[in-house]
Amino acid sequence: MAVDITLSVNGVPYPLTVDPHASLLHTVRGDVGLTGSKEGCDDSECGACMMLVDGRPVNSCSYLAVQADGSDVTTVEGLSDGETLAPLQEAFLTRGGVQCGFCTPGMLVSATALLDRSPNPSEDEIRTAVSGNLCRCTGYDGIVKAIAAVAAERAAQG
Amino acid sequence: MSVIDTPAQGSSTPERPRAFLRPDGKEKVTGLGRYTADLTFTGQLHAAFRYADHPHARIVSIDTSRAKALPGVFAVVTHEDVPDVRYGGMTQDRRLFAKEKVLWEGDVVAGVAARTVEIAREAAALVEVEYEVLSAQPDYVANMAPDAPVLHEGWAEYGADENLVRDGNVMSRYVIAKGDADAAMAGADVVVKSHYVSDASQGVPIEPRALVAQWTGDSVTVWSSTQVPFAARSGVAHTLQIPESKVRIVVPLLGGGFGSKCDFHFEAHVAILAKVTRRPVRLVFTRKEEFVAPDHRREGMDIELETGVTRDGRIVARRGRMVLDKGAYTGEGGFFAQMAAMHACGPYKLDTVRVEAFLNYSTNQPAASIRAPTAPQACWALEQHLDEVAAAIGMDPVELRRRTLVAEGDEGPAGQVFEKIGAKETLEAALELIGYDAYLRGELPDDEAVGVACGWWPCFGVPSGAYVKLNGDGTATIVTGAQENGSGSVMGLPILAAEILGMSPSDFSINYQDTDAGPWDMGSSGSQTTFNNGRAVVEAAQEVRAKLLAMGAEKLEADVADLELADGAVRVKGAPETSVTIADLAGTGEPILGKGSGEVPEAAASDASACVGSLGMESFLAPQLITHAARVKVDRDTGVVRVLDFAAAHDSGVIVNKVGADGQVYGGVMMGIGQALTEATWTDEEGRQKNPGLLDYKLQTASDGPRIQIRWIEIETPNAGPKGSKGVGEPPSVPTSGAVGNAIAKVIGRHVDKLPMTAERVWLAANSPAGEDQ
Amino acid sequence: MSTATSMTTSASSRTYVEARDVATAVAAMSAGARPIAGGTDLVVGARHGKAPLPAALVGIHRIPGLADVAPTDGGGLRLGALVTHATLMADPTVLASYPGLADASAIVGSHATRANGTLGGNVMNSSPAMDTGAPLLCHGGVAVLVGPAGERRVALADLWTGPGRSTAAPDELLVAVELDAPPADGASGSSYVRLQYRRQMEIAIVGAGAVVTLGADGTVTGAKVAITALAPVIHRVAEAEAALVGTDGGFEAAKAAGAAAAAAARPISDVRGSADYRRAMAAVITRRAVLTAVRRARGESVPVPASDTTFGS
Repeated sequence: MAVDITLSVNGVPYPLTVDPHASLLHTVRGDVGLTGSKEGCDDSECGACMMLVDGRPVNSCSYLAVQADGSDVTTVEGLSDGETLAPLQEAFLTRGGVQCGFCTPGMLVSATALLDRSPNPSEDEIRTAVSGNLCRCTGYDGIVKAIAAVAAERAAQG
Repeated sequence: MSVIDTPAQGSSTPERPRAFLRPDGKEKVTGLGRYTADLTFTGQLHAAFRYADHPHARIVSIDTSRAKALPGVFAVVTHEDVPDVRYGGMTQDRRLFAKEKVLWEGDVVAGVAARTVEIAREAAALVEVEYEVLSAQPDYVANMAPDAPVLHEGWAEYGADENLVRDGNVMSRYVIAKGDADAAMAGADVVVKSHYVSDASQGVPIEPRALVAQWTGDSVTVWSSTQVPFAARSGVAHTLQIPESKVRIVVPLLGGGFGSKCDFHFEAHVAILAKVTRRPVRLVFTRKEEFVAPDHRREGMDIELETGVTRDGRIVARRGRMVLDKGAYTGEGGFFAQMAAMHACGPYKLDTVRVEAFLNYSTNQPAASIRAPTAPQACWALEQHLDEVAAAIGMDPVELRRRTLVAEGDEGPAGQVFEKIGAKETLEAALELIGYDAYLRGELPDDEAVGVACGWWPCFGVPSGAYVKLNGDGTATIVTGAQENGSGSVMGLPILAAEILGMSPSDFSINYQDTDAGPWDMGSSGSQTTFNNGRAVVEAAQEVRAKLLAMGAEKLEADVADLELADGAVRVKGAPETSVTIADLAGTGEPILGKGSGEVPEAAASDASACVGSLGMESFLAPQLITHAARVKVDRDTGVVRVLDFAAAHDSGVIVNKVGADGQVYGGVMMGIGQALTEATWTDEEGRQKNPGLLDYKLQTASDGPRIQIRWIEIETPNAGPKGSKGVGEPPSVPTSGAVGNAIAKVIGRHVDKLPMTAERVWLAANSPAGEDQ
Repeated sequence: MSTATSMTTSASSRTYVEARDVATAVAAMSAGARPIAGGTDLVVGARHGKAPLPAALVGIHRIPGLADVAPTDGGGLRLGALVTHATLMADPTVLASYPGLADASAIVGSHATRANGTLGGNVMNSSPAMDTGAPLLCHGGVAVLVGPAGERRVALADLWTGPGRSTAAPDELLVAVELDAPPADGASGSSYVRLQYRRQMEIAIVGAGAVVTLGADGTVTGAKVAITALAPVIHRVAEAEAALVGTDGGFEAAKAAGAAAAAAARPISDVRGSADYRRAMAAVITRRAVLTAVRRARGESVPVPASDTTFGS
């Protein structure tokens, strides 16, 4: 039996009727229509589907939409207004953190979650935080540098 | 020659300014860019395949009636619904849908289009297939025995490249011979023999492949996550027997490939389903399908090497026998025997050579191009073998390489005489970056060591094409047939055109990945986009430049020879105030466009008569040279290896786009470390994959990444790509596992003879008595 | 790979309710629903094809009070079923007195798994490879279950019966796990070490947990050792514990405990490793877990997670 829920995605409430087994990922991509979050494995191994649910990083492929009823969901589309890039988005571009871009949305969401909970992370912490986001293109180097640079900028700004 | 360093994480060396941001960057970081699986079409249906139920079986009958009767199913198609033609690169040995036999677990027997994915999968399961089960033949070495049952009974009748030497289950055989290796071996001071075996591994793009097909009239458009749209177009046209003009392949953003999305794959399957249902049909692979169904994986390889040396480190003879697992079908991998044999020689001075390579059919998943096909495994074996040779004559392995690496004027295995190359320079650079001297002085803990390996990879000179057209406001559009796989090679094309036209790279838009728009291109394969399409863009831009100068000369009443293009204007040299902007010239409405392909560089002459089964690669065009050095730490009690520090020194000619080139090395090295330590496709006794998922097929994570230092040995390479550039994309994975393997061996005292060098294998090697086979 | 078999139940039969208190959850479970919290075991398990998602689900993730970490009357620690791995790896009491549990929690999956995966889901999944299992056993973990008839308490050793199987009734909800009080004199340490091919994103191939108590003279007065992924259930190894008591807790003693663990192991061969390798690793990993626990008991600081710290030791 389909269930009525309300998802708040990037600050916009979406009243939806969903199958209890529908994943948060499929619901956001299909019903909400935001396709920035990707499906790379469907079993929480690759992190391409990473979203924030009430601020927590979540592999949305393995999280049921019904469980996010009433929660605040943030996807890559919610990290900036799309015109002025968020510092992490900008840094990913300038430091070689983006190649094919398929892991990028999940990476950016994981990095956002990291800097929210740990504003001044060590390189090891950064690597740990994005180790659930697999990237085959960049060898992670540009990604780690980008996150470190944003953290350093924030620290400098106090 | 110049050298540019890329400092590692945490280093304080200032970096080169990065003026250039990739044009597709913004859509990628905002999530607004569309990949194929992000497309939806009104009325679309979903496809699913019925795969083979046995790795090897004769098909007795296929009954689709129950599947077709399931509510929500619009079509079920088999070999009966498509033209009876075979396809394949160098051997046409495959059909879209299996007809007489299935030859591996991923063979497609039937395709379904249905209202939902779930219904399509349920219907696929309802297709009833009766088989006569045959013995699986996963042992690709045993399959060349004279009495082994022949898998492709009709191989002699298949269409095939006439240069292929074929016999029974041997899909192709290649021999490279230089001098009398047998006699030279007999006269060598020391002879060392080694035997290495590599398991198969996978490309694993993070984007599983996706396709959507839609017909308008008798033309079909297929949106596909392919690396090679023009090959996909040819495949659809050939297998459905329609003209190429009726097939359009569009590639939305491509989520990585690493070779696994090369070649024509599933475009025609989806097209035929869309045709019979008269609806758009969409197919998105699960991660498991992405592992099992494509006819692309890195080939398993059995490698025997023998080297005869003098005590002072001259290689007088190299013999080798390599057997490669082709799997069930050829695809585009028919050249692998020759490529593997070249990598058994390596970039070394060899007095005599006799290397024989066999590419054998089996009932395994087909092998085809994965980032530098055949090279990482063959190089891993050769480089470990060289360390064994060095040990046998009591020489430091680096010193042996110093004495034997090729330089300008030296001869390749089939007589190619090398032009300017930086093999030795990459060796010295990598040693410096990794701190090899400190290692030699014994300054590392006893569970750490540094391993070094060298390798090479050719450039592929092929025709390519591009147009450059000016827009009325003075901006421009590059229309290219080239394919962007994420590396940035297409994104970097504006750099080349801008320089010629006195414009800024940001003045250019790029129309790419659409076979109806751009000229033919080989696609994202062979590290060839900058090399060939860059040349095409340069030539197209030159044509535009000539037009602009002519128009400017008329307008400014000046001689063309006195004019220059700079800052978006045609102006008089030395009198920049006398100028006319490109926008003024382009704004008249008269088309200003250029087209280009450019002359294809050819490899140096060589003695192909010394080779059997030659496909023209016994001479390496503009070879890229690489040295990798790895410092590893080995947990002797568990066999777990961590790579702590890594140095990559590359001669890829002149570097056109440094951000992009560095990115290829960082990514390639991590892929190489994965292949060295944790990545393998494990199979059961019948060849079925046991780990088709990302939990047990273990890519390296961010936490596994070592410090990586890069040095580019920039040589303006003659007879190469634009500005003297070479390829960049594939070499970064070539010597990686060899470097890691040699480092492991220094810690545990023996070489691990199987790839990947998993913890268990390292532990076994470290704990088995000397001389005993693992 | 042959047929694409449907693993799903029909959409119309699926139900979901969200419980805001234990009674509602238990009532739903009595009617056949399965509880779901973070989904990191249940949903991921379904994706792996282990078992289809149950048709009837009851969300328990918002039940108040189940995410608390609080001392028990006996001086032990009560961990609510909804406590996440992220909480456990950073909780000051856990780090001070139950560091083995922090070692284990810090290496579960990715940061998303740790932020969402709950102790309760982990425990009730009864996986022989669960990382928190060995430290929970060594710290005397007791499951607090609430069913229609009320609350009952079951030692974890008596709860787990095999992969995915437990002695809990289908309508019993795990509300908390309670741990023993640490020894009064404080000379105790615990640890969990796992064999890992990669530094992150691993599943236990071999794991071991240990709790060691030292007397005033440094002699081992108490020891608990449990092994992970080496049998159908995670279990303690009495012979390994006996090998430690009365010793100085040094390398030889730890090695003897490791040998006992290897002897008690009943490993399987699979894609992750052969039985022979796993058995050999049982000795190595147990030795490292014991030595880490001893060091912590002596007051030395061994950073969490110990799997990283003890690499190559």
